Amino acid sequence: MGESAKKGAGTVTSLAEMFPAEDAQKAVKRVQEKLAEIQNELHRVRGFISDNSNLINLVQKLPEQLHHNIIVPFGKAAFFPGRLIHTNEIMVLLGEGYYAERTSKQTVEILKRRGKVLESQVESLKAIMRDLKAETSFFDSTASEAAEGLLEITEDYVEENSTERESESGPPKEDAPNFSEAEKAKVSVEDEEYARIMSKLDELEKEELEAECGNETVEENEQVAVDDEEYARLMSRLDELEKEELEAEDEKIKDDFNKLPDQKSLDTNLRHSEGYQSRELLEQMKDKKSATEEFLSKCDPQKDLTNQLNCMGLAVQSVPEDEKSHGKSLLHNVIKSSPPEKALMLPEVKENVQPAPLSRSSS
Amino acid sequence: MSSSTVLRELQRDFEAKSNDLSKLQKDISKNHQVRKKYTIQLGENELVLKELDILNEDANVYKLIGPVLVKQDLAEANANVRKRIEYISAELKRLDGNLQDLEEKQNSKKEAIFKLQERIQSLQAGKAKA
Repeated sequence: MGESAKKGAGTVTSLAEMFPAEDAQKAVKRVQEKLAEIQNELHRVRGFISDNSNLINLVQKLPEQLHHNIIVPFGKAAFFPGRLIHTNEIMVLLGEGYYAERTSKQTVEILKRRGKVLESQVESLKAIMRDLKAETSFFDSTASEAAEGLLEITEDYVEENSTERESESGPPKEDAPNFSEAEKAKVSVEDEEYARIMSKLDELEKEELEAECGNETVEENEQVAVDDEEYARLMSRLDELEKEELEAEDEKIKDDFNKLPDQKSLDTNLRHSEGYQSRELLEQMKDKKSATEEFLSKCDPQKDLTNQLNCMGLAVQSVPEDEKSHGKSLLHNVIKSSPPEKALMLPEVKENVQPAPLSRSSS
Repeated sequence: MSSSTVLRELQRDFEAKSNDLSKLQKDISKNHQVRKKYTIQLGENELVLKELDILNEDANVYKLIGPVLVKQDLAEANANVRKRIEYISAELKRLDGNLQDLEEKQNSKKEAIFKLQERIQSLQAGKAKA
């Protein structure tokens, strides 16, 4: 616990520094212009293809008659009736001013070959368009992320066994300077981190489930230790985020402590419970004692006094609600709950407030 | 003041160099356009050659010279088209070489301009301090 001062080295860079928002948007515009050009080209080539197919039809119809009676255009504004003779003899432009006399069947073959060339051009244009579209979407996402003030936090992964747990609690201290960053940045970071962490925790749960089924407790602990390297990291991230929320919320709680409107306490409980849903599930699946013990031994106790209390309090509350894992459903149950449960919650809130100043004063 | 005359000279130099650079860039873009034209012509000629190869010996081939369609011998037409293809490829190679030269010159000009800019800025900073 004294070794918690050992920090994991890492860097925090704002995404806006790496990819300035304006530049990203300019890049998006450029790529979109190129895309428009290519689309015009595609349009033209498709026009050629349709002309080609029309011509093929016409040329196939010509030799059906020896002579065709037609109205011939004469100059700009006149026509006269005429006859189309030698219907099977067609002068085909091969290119570069070269003409060849061919029958209609041979002409059709030439036209079909030309059609194939045009089709291959269309395919290549489409491929180029696809690439450009991928580029635009990438630039768009970076531009929007940079605008939101998303932070890129890179941490070194220290490959040690026991001291690793302590080093993982180092990163939360790095976040202290970021407290001064815009609220918006934090919120977006937290939300995305939450989603990511939740998915990772789900994977870890599955792994541990499998581990639990097959092994003895000894092996389980070992495997759990291996899995828990990542788990600890994720948990510590969760802790940081929730600590931030907690500290923000504790202000409110302190103010309203005297009034203690049930709604507020419910809200705070709800937020904590949302964060702790996954932990609850894990605890229910694992051996409860071993889980909490390991948890305590891994993490910084001063920080986790609150977490611990909440876990225990909420675990008691949620045991009956085993199946429903959504925070909202928990809220409903809480609202409908009988007074004794509410009484249970209020002391929790008190416990929340007290350890928080404790942790702050000692931190 | 000698420093201001030096500054003016540097600035004139800078303008001259930037003019050269813009000329170079125009040359490069012209080169690109001519290259495009030639590439298209080359493609067309290759198509013509393919069709001529498919033709029978006794087929009539005509060449459009101005408003006149002139009958040509198939062998002659083949030879002409092949020669044209060779000529166009040679032209393309020459243009490629040109382009390389122009790009190198452009890069060196850019560097020179950059250095000039730095000198001018340092001089101006020095003047402002004094």
